[in-house]
Amino acid sequence: MTRRLPRMPRTPLTVLLSAVFLAVAVLCALAGPLLAPHALDQDLYLGTVGAGVEGHLSGTDALGRDVLSLAVLGTRSALLGPVLVACGSMLLGLLLGTLAGFRGGWLDTVVGRYADLLLALPAVLLAMVVVGMLGGGYWVTVLVLVVLFSPTDVRLVRAAVMEQAARPYIESARVLGIRPGRIMVRHVLPNTVPIVVANLLLNTAFAMVALSSLSYLGLGVAPGAADWGRQLADGQRIMVDNPLAAILPGVLIILAATSVNLLGDWLAERLDRKVATR
Amino acid sequence: MPLKGAGGARPLAGFVARRLGTALLLLFLLSLLVYGLVFLAPGDIARNLLGTRNATPEALAQVRAQYHLDEPFLRQYWRWLSGLLGGDLGTSVRTGEPVSSVLAERLGLTAALCSLAFGLSVLVGVPAGVAAALRRGRLADRLLVGGSVVGVSAPGFAVGLLLLYVFGVGLEWFPVYGTGTGFLDGLWHLALPSVALALGLGAFVVKLTRAAVVRELEEDYVVFARSRGLGGRRVLGVVLRNAAVPVVTSLGLLVAYLLGGTVLVETTFALPGLGSLLESSVLFKDFAVVQALTLVTALVVSLVTLAVDLAYLAVDPRMRTRAGVGR
Amino acid sequence: MSRADHDPSARATTPTAPSAVLAAVPLLSVRGLRVDGPAGAIVAGVDLDVRRGETLALVGESGSGKSMTVKALSGLLPAGVRATGTLELDGEPLPLDPAARPWRTVRGNRVALLLQDPFTSLSPVHTCGAQIGWALPGKPSRAERAKRVAALLAEVGLAPDTADRYPHQLSGGMRQRVAIAAVLAADPDLLIADEPTTALDATTQHEVLELIARLQRERRMAVVLITHDLGLARSRADRIGVMYAGRLVETGTGAQVLDAPAHPYTARLAACEPPLDRRLPLLPTIPGQVPAAHAVGAGCAFADRCELALPDCRSRYSPLLAPAPDDAEHLAACLRIGESAALPVPAPEAAQASEAAAPRTGGAEPALLVTGLVKRFPRTDRPAVDAVDLRLERGEAVVVLGQSGSGKTTLARCVVGLERPDAGTVAFPLSERDGGGPRGRRTTDPGRVQIVFQDPYSALNPGHSIGTTLREALRAAGRPDEDPADLLELVGLPREYVTRRPRRLSGGERQRVAIARALAPRPGVLVCDEAVSALDVSVQAGVLNLLARLRRELDLSILFITHDLAIARQVADRVHVMHRGRVVEHGPADAVLTAPAHPYTRQLLASAPAAH
Repeated sequence: MTRRLPRMPRTPLTVLLSAVFLAVAVLCALAGPLLAPHALDQDLYLGTVGAGVEGHLSGTDALGRDVLSLAVLGTRSALLGPVLVACGSMLLGLLLGTLAGFRGGWLDTVVGRYADLLLALPAVLLAMVVVGMLGGGYWVTVLVLVVLFSPTDVRLVRAAVMEQAARPYIESARVLGIRPGRIMVRHVLPNTVPIVVANLLLNTAFAMVALSSLSYLGLGVAPGAADWGRQLADGQRIMVDNPLAAILPGVLIILAATSVNLLGDWLAERLDRKVATR
Repeated sequence: MPLKGAGGARPLAGFVARRLGTALLLLFLLSLLVYGLVFLAPGDIARNLLGTRNATPEALAQVRAQYHLDEPFLRQYWRWLSGLLGGDLGTSVRTGEPVSSVLAERLGLTAALCSLAFGLSVLVGVPAGVAAALRRGRLADRLLVGGSVVGVSAPGFAVGLLLLYVFGVGLEWFPVYGTGTGFLDGLWHLALPSVALALGLGAFVVKLTRAAVVRELEEDYVVFARSRGLGGRRVLGVVLRNAAVPVVTSLGLLVAYLLGGTVLVETTFALPGLGSLLESSVLFKDFAVVQALTLVTALVVSLVTLAVDLAYLAVDPRMRTRAGVGR
Repeated sequence: MSRADHDPSARATTPTAPSAVLAAVPLLSVRGLRVDGPAGAIVAGVDLDVRRGETLALVGESGSGKSMTVKALSGLLPAGVRATGTLELDGEPLPLDPAARPWRTVRGNRVALLLQDPFTSLSPVHTCGAQIGWALPGKPSRAERAKRVAALLAEVGLAPDTADRYPHQLSGGMRQRVAIAAVLAADPDLLIADEPTTALDATTQHEVLELIARLQRERRMAVVLITHDLGLARSRADRIGVMYAGRLVETGTGAQVLDAPAHPYTARLAACEPPLDRRLPLLPTIPGQVPAAHAVGAGCAFADRCELALPDCRSRYSPLLAPAPDDAEHLAACLRIGESAALPVPAPEAAQASEAAAPRTGGAEPALLVTGLVKRFPRTDRPAVDAVDLRLERGEAVVVLGQSGSGKTTLARCVVGLERPDAGTVAFPLSERDGGGPRGRRTTDPGRVQIVFQDPYSALNPGHSIGTTLREALRAAGRPDEDPADLLELVGLPREYVTRRPRRLSGGERQRVAIARALAPRPGVLVCDEAVSALDVSVQAGVLNLLARLRRELDLSILFITHDLAIARQVADRVHVMHRGRVVEHGPADAVLTAPAHPYTRQLLASAPAAH
């Protein structure tokens, strides 16, 4: 009765900056080759390795490639994979989570055990072993991460669905004889949107960290490919000659994941408020 | 946590036994999975084993026989499993040494690194999280929350690299690589790696602690305690005791995170620990080592989870009742 | 003193004030109290005195600002809320800002607040003994502390070993006793109890109220009792203050305020309280709804709902005035105060439907027949519902009366098919005979039975408009072409509500929409699971009247689940009393509720507040 919601605050500056950064990153991912100042094979000869190479704002890497161009071209694998991982695992989460949460019974037990099993291990570590042993490329890595990320989504969706399913308006719909599938689509799932959207972004950020970690270790991307994790690993070897070769991708990874996290937190709060006040 | 009511004279022992049983089952399934991966892996492991030697059909056949690669999957697995039960973890394909001695050699460094990082992140993260919760919405809180978002978003290798560049290469306060000799020198060498590892972990601890304390501060018992004239300090004590429950229960997750992170940090700082061993073994497909490391990791996580569950019983009397080990 | 008639035990031992001089100064006095939150005023003008040793009941419906008033008086205002006005404790001014230094010694030791919900007001991870010991003054040694905790436990009627137990191991009533002991540890002069028994069962409620009354006598505490229950206020309080939309509208002794109300709101509110001893053909209600405190302009907050309102009432707010010039005790904030004697308490419309009350027994086939129903939940020691038989005739209203844990809700859920019974049958002979056609073959024909739940705020999907909700129900009922507005009309809501979202509706309106939805398949039986328990009395009465009308017009059979005796009295043709999963007594409402045969029913009746 006395608890009133505080007024909606203005969009914080950090969120705006995150959005701008991500917009630029998406642009680079879409039109990287057009935006990159140099083609990667342009200066592939010895003698231009390091900082202060003429015409290269941030120097060149060990192979003589332009560091900035490599970073611009690296946005694609930095963004696409994580987004796919988040969407894929949420899709699994929605599928298994709703089934387990709404149906219950043995299905719930099976799904619960599956989630327990996968959660008992560090995801990055397991991904490393699986990808490393299978020797798969980028897409195999994405697929493995989808499977490894899904338990948290399954649990999240399951909990949200179970919480919803006990609500009086859902039970009223059941007594009215409305089919479970329809109840799911019309009543349960729309009310889980805030939690799903927030978790999509959260998982995207986690997947950015995980995928770049794997590529840093040399897993999931081909040697020499334009990828921030890989670029950092290569750049680390010439840190004395051109520190930017490693620092630029490192900072970009941190900025990208931070931006997605900030955006996710902000969106979660807004959607939450919207649900609470409607 | 699905704790079922336990009967019997010693319910606590029953609880622990059930938990250990679950952990063993997990280890079994995991070993099967990793063994399956080896079996499924494309390419010929025998060629890997031969290394630079000439891959004549005879040499390949000899290597296959030596490592029993020509046997069916289940027999190979059984061979490995019975070896394991006899205390034999197998032989490293890459170095030819027994896996157990390779592991033992590198265990110390990883243990030291992880303990340092864990201690650091808890000692700094918990007070920071409490402070943020108490100043909710104010500048200090927003800075801490913002910092923890960055910390959670920054992978250990990227942080490690930045630290390495600023404090190692730039300021030359800390060594760039190596493990040092003696305790203090070793500590000095581990300073940057453990900070790199602790940053992400500490950020998690800040987030967790802050959320737990904020939630408890809104509880009715806080209003009721204040209404009875309890001072701010006493009320905070009650709140912290309650907030400890969710924080302690997520320690298991933190350890899992720590073990994932140590691989990256050890690689970045070129430290000869279990993490970098896993990295190189995976790249070389040294499956005996990979298998052993996976199991060790799972074992550690399982034991920590068990310890956390026991701690849960200690900090939450409601849990004791539900697990059937309370009064 | 008229109160002695109601509660002979209370007055006889009341201490006289230590001295006449001190008695003249009230223990606590507040003038012009105003509490502002982010959205505007929550409390907009309260003048109150609390005297030593007295019990003052603060009465009001939800949204009246009574809880925020006592938070301000006990120095516990939450962040973001600010209070203005003047507060005096023992004649000494006390700042209203809870962060002010003087509060450190006032809270607990002088003024303490007991909260409503004993399930959340104790820390779950500390033993009861530890929590009681926290507020002990001084720095007692371990042994000393244990001794004093044991004494406090004895004072509230709990065994000494309670000290070593955790709150989750105790029942609600025991927890509230522990909370009371914890408050007493600080030895307050004034105990403010915010709905201290609302979360408890009737019998426990009675015990806790008795305990508070005894402690007050023994310790000579003043008590401010916040309640929405007029019967409880009448039986427990020396004086009553009535709040409405953040304002205090009337104060006086219990008899003055409730028997000769001087403010139209008080009069109408008192009339809404359903009587326990007879069934009214139509319950009085108050049309309209309580406005938010900050939405009220310069006039009287009740003016819009008051048929005595003059044009002046809407532009000018009346101060508290005495209806009888020689009695300064009784005050009311009404411009027509002088005409108080002539205030007609508006009578409900002429009882046009007394025949509805006549139970029907003639029908050969019942609308609902429950036989030998058993429902057991995993890992519980006894069945939630244990061999229950129940028969509901066409057009009849049967009340299942029971306290929490009696199994009444599980019974309702089994009847509508939300739980699967372990044994026994649930049959709807009437609708199964009538319900031929394709829908009749469905295992769950929505035309047999529908349900209305307790909580109006989760009864409707917040994302759907009222029209969408009702259209969905009509479609499920196989009547997709019908206008949802007709359903709204049926439950007494304006047709234009079809476009509204639930958040723009009051609790009572939402509950009416929930009833409209349940009526969409034209069910033979309507199950109401505590359907009015979450509503204020004035709103409650309206919904009960609606149900009575629907029964009459649609020949609807109603299975009504409740814990409230007065509501049961108003609804029931027949009553089933449930206790620990079994029906312990059943029969015509008159017989069961006036001359109960089973000891449990007698105990229930004895603990009803109005019985004192």
